[in-house]
Parts: sequence; C-alpha cells; structure tokens
Amino acid sequence: MTRFIFLLPPSSLDMDATITAAPPRVRINRLLPYWAVFQNDFKATFNSWLYRGWVVLSVAVVLGSLLYRFGAKQVSGMIQGAPETAGELLHWVIYGGVTLVIALTAGAICAERGSVADSVLSRGISRYQYFLGKWHSRLTLVLLTYFVQSILAIVGAYYMLHSEALTIHGSLVAMMVVASMLVFVITFAVSVSAVSSNTLVSIAVVWMTLYGGGFLLTQLPGSVPSPERALQNLPNVLKGLYDWNALSRTMLLSLGVSAGTALIGMFCFSRKDV
Amino acid sequence: MAEISSDLVVESFKLTKIYQNRQIAINDINLKLEPGTVLGLLGQNGAGKTTLLRLILGLHRPTAGWVKVFGKYMGPNAAALRCRIGYIPTNPQFPKGMTPIVYLDYMARLFGLPAEVRKPRLATLIRAVDLLSASGDHIENFSNGMIARLAVATSLINEPDLLIWDEPTLGLDPEARRSMLELIKTLAHDKTLIIASHNLSDIDEVCNHAAVLSHGHLIYFGSLQDLKGRMKRNHYEFDLEGDQKAITKAMTALKNMTDFKLVNLRQRRLELRMSEDVNNTNALANVFMTLADNKVTVISIRSVGMQTEAAFLDLVEEEESRGFARAYKAAA
Repeated sequence: MTRFIFLLPPSSLDMDATITAAPPRVRINRLLPYWAVFQNDFKATFNSWLYRGWVVLSVAVVLGSLLYRFGAKQVSGMIQGAPETAGELLHWVIYGGVTLVIALTAGAICAERGSVADSVLSRGISRYQYFLGKWHSRLTLVLLTYFVQSILAIVGAYYMLHSEALTIHGSLVAMMVVASMLVFVITFAVSVSAVSSNTLVSIAVVWMTLYGGGFLLTQLPGSVPSPERALQNLPNVLKGLYDWNALSRTMLLSLGVSAGTALIGMFCFSRKDV
Repeated sequence: MAEISSDLVVESFKLTKIYQNRQIAINDINLKLEPGTVLGLLGQNGAGKTTLLRLILGLHRPTAGWVKVFGKYMGPNAAALRCRIGYIPTNPQFPKGMTPIVYLDYMARLFGLPAEVRKPRLATLIRAVDLLSASGDHIENFSNGMIARLAVATSLINEPDLLIWDEPTLGLDPEARRSMLELIKTLAHDKTLIIASHNLSDIDEVCNHAAVLSHGHLIYFGSLQDLKGRMKRNHYEFDLEGDQKAITKAMTALKNMTDFKLVNLRQRRLELRMSEDVNNTNALANVFMTLADNKVTVISIRSVGMQTEAAFLDLVEEEESRGFARAYKAAA
C-alpha cells in the first residue's frame, strides 16, 4: 500500500535520536551547492554521447594522422617532422574539434532550462554558484581531455617520426597556447548558454561568433594577437623557437577576455528567469 | 493578522510579471501569508498560479513590485531564503541515470547540508515515502505515484518552514491522492503551505485559506470559509422517518409551495432546491412545519453541493462579467 509513514508524529518513527530530539542547529556548508553542481555536471558530461564522440573522433584523428605520416616515411621516405605533425594536430583541436567542444558546452545551462534547472535552482543555491559550477566542470573536463589528447599526439609524433627538433618546453608552451584559446571558447559557450533559451540557437551563435571573430582578427595588422597567427606558428613553438613575451600576452589576453565574458554571462544569468 | 512584516511568511506588494512585453502573467498582486496558513491557490489554466509560485521562489524576477519571504526580499540569488522552502513543481523532472538515493543526496547538497546530516535524513525520508525497495532503481523507470513520493521526499529534505507544492495530486491514483492529502494535513500542523491545484475538492479538504487568480489578477484572498460563505446555500437533503403515506403527503404539500424549484423524493430521502430569491431560513422553517404537521421525523439534514467549486466559479464569472468596470475599480 502506498502511504507516507511520516504522517505519524516523528516520535512514533524509529528514527535516530538525533532526529527525534530537539534538532540541533545544522551547520550549512556554503560551498557544497557549487561543488554538487560541479560534480554532477562533470559526471553527466563525461557520460554523454557527445563527449564520447569527441574523444573517439579526436583519438582517431591523432592515430590516423600519425600512422599516415609514419607509413609515408617508411614506404616512400616522405618525411614530415614531429613538430609540424604535432602542430597540425593541435591545429585540428581548434578548427575541427572545437565544433564538438562548442556543442558540448553551449547547452550547459540552457539545455536544462524548464526541466531539471527548476529542481536545482529552487533549492539553496544561488545563480552565481550554479553558473560557476557548470562553467568550471565543463572547463575542467574539456581541458583535461585536451591535455591527454595533446600529450598523446606529441609523444606519438616524437616516437613515431623520430624528430629531434621537438622540445619539451616548446611542447608545453604550445599546449598552453591552445589551452588558453579553448578556455575562451568554453567560457564564451557557457556564457551564451546562460543567456539563451535554446541549445541550437546557442550553438549557432557561438559557432558563428567564434569563427567570424577569428576570421576578422586575421584581417587586422600583424601586431594584433590573432588565434590563426598563433596556430600557424605552432610548429616553431614546438621546436622551442618562440617569443615568450608575445605568446604570454596572447594567452593573458585570452584568459582576461574569458574572465570578462564569464562575469557578463554570470551577471545576465543572475537576472534571468528560468 | 500579523501586523509586523517580518512575522509574515510570504508578503507581496503590487507583484507584476510581464513576459517580454508580450504576456501579462501576473498583475498587481498583494498577498500576506501568516505562519501556519494552508493556502489553496485556485485558478483556471493560464491564470498565473505557477508564475506566482515561481516568483515566490525567486525562479522568476518580478517586472514590478516585490515579494518577501520570511521578511526578506526574494530574488534569484536569495539562496538562504530558499533553504527554508520545500518545492514540488507541477511535473517534477529528474536528471537521467540517478537513483532516489543519489538524487536526494544531490538535492541535500544543494542546500549545503553536510554528510552527517543529509545521509540519515535521506534514509529516513526514503523509508517514509515507501521507496525503500526501489531506492537502487533508476528514477526514469518510476511510475507517477513513485515520482510524486520522491518529489515529496525532496521537498522535505531540508526540513523547510514553507512548502510550495504545485499540483501535488496531479496524475495520482485515488489511494495515492488520499495519502497525499493526509500528508498535507499532517504537515499543516507546524508548517506553512501553498498548494496550487485544479482539484477544488482537494483544496476544500486541506486548506484553510484560498487565493483565486483569474487572468493573472487576484480576485479573492481570504479564508476558505469566507469564500464558501459567499455562496448561498439552496440545495438540501433530508433523511426522513415516518409513515410512507405521510411522507408522500408532506412532499405534495412542499411541491405546492413556490419556494422550491425542485422537490424530489427517493425512498425516504427528500431533496429540495430553493428558488434563487427565497430566504432559505423561512423556506426551511416552512419545510419543518410541513413535516411536523404530517408527523414526519427528520433524521438528518445536509447542505448539498461543491460549495468551493461553486464559489470559485461564481467569483470567476463575476470577475469576467464586470468587463471594463474592473479598470474603474482599480482607478478608484
């Protein structure tokens, strides 16, 4: 029979003494709501088919590309150095993989609007915590996956193509340059997701803005940092031939713009109906 | 009535919600809810019930006016206020792949409850709502009744002072519905509740106050008794005892009176419906005199009809029939 046992007074339920006695004041952990959203979103995204598809596709591209270069070198003696191959692969992360990253992040908040978001936001969590939890979980998952893929690509290129030109510090800097661009892509996508009501619209807006913006930046003078120019220079960076000041300026600019975008997204989300 | 604003559980002033300058969902609502109130929120589809509840919860921001909960302004970032509220949405949605234990733990963490508090509490609640045997199953495989019970457990995980339940009996079988109503009655002993429902008999059974919304406008707010008192009682049933011939004779006499629109006798049950313009005290006095003259004994008498429903429909009809006069009243 369906019934609610707590229809009975609490004393008649054989609860713990801590519950039946005068309730002690509960100590609320203010960070717990943020952490709960972070963990739950991380797990849900990790288990999503989109994420799995991205990982499988990226690994396939890395392995396929390395095997092709390796085969070309073995059979016909066509040699492309490890820095160039690794640079191509990192380039792919931005131009190919980023489409899937956008799809993975641009629905972070708006996909739950009108369904699960109600159940979450009607509890003891502020909009800021919810936004930060979502943003940080997607950021962590995508960057972790990206670093694993990049390390796989660079190590694979180094061992399969036997290039001495590849340097460790150059590889680290190259990965950081691409990571800083990914930080902006993820942040922008989550922020658009926070103000949008529809996942498809959100993906379209992010996609068009990023690709359109990237193209416009390439048209500006060479002194202006541009993602395309930074990516073109990756093979040299991997060889250790880079201007640290210029690259750090590009990375800081990307992180600064990301922080600003997140602040705007969070502010707009805190004033929006769900 | 509580005079001090901070004593009120919910207070709203000129609360208005207009969606994207296209749809007026809520218009100029003033509410004052004292502790211990069980408020039934009534209204037709699209009347603004859910919007009002979402404004009280801070899920929506008012276009104008304000809403205070426990004496403080409610808004999207008023997390501390929501820690004292338990909410059940109309159709509760759950994340995929979760079991009741995982879901309740997640919800409890959203309230910032540490493990030593939330773990025993969620175990108690799962047992209380009779989901112990299904506690390891995925929620997406649950029936409507099980989902309703899980939603109840979720709304109580933070031991709230105010419960806001939107259509809690929707889609439940009669047994589960009965159980839910009993639960509401029990909770009403020490909590304040706002129940939105289309089912007027549910409201009638568990609520002591009512708020009636029509097209986003609050057309009634007060005690349920007063709402029902608006309706003139004109439909009665008498259980009679006495000689059958005497009862038939009395009925014939009653039929000849102009006070009644309907006089009907089924076995020993007499049904009377009075005319609209008749004073029911005088009419009932005439009935008793007629029955006494014919030596018929009255065993029981009761007023018939869904009074809350009738009062609700009457209010809505009256509001709609006023037409533009509504504007004059507002201006005055």
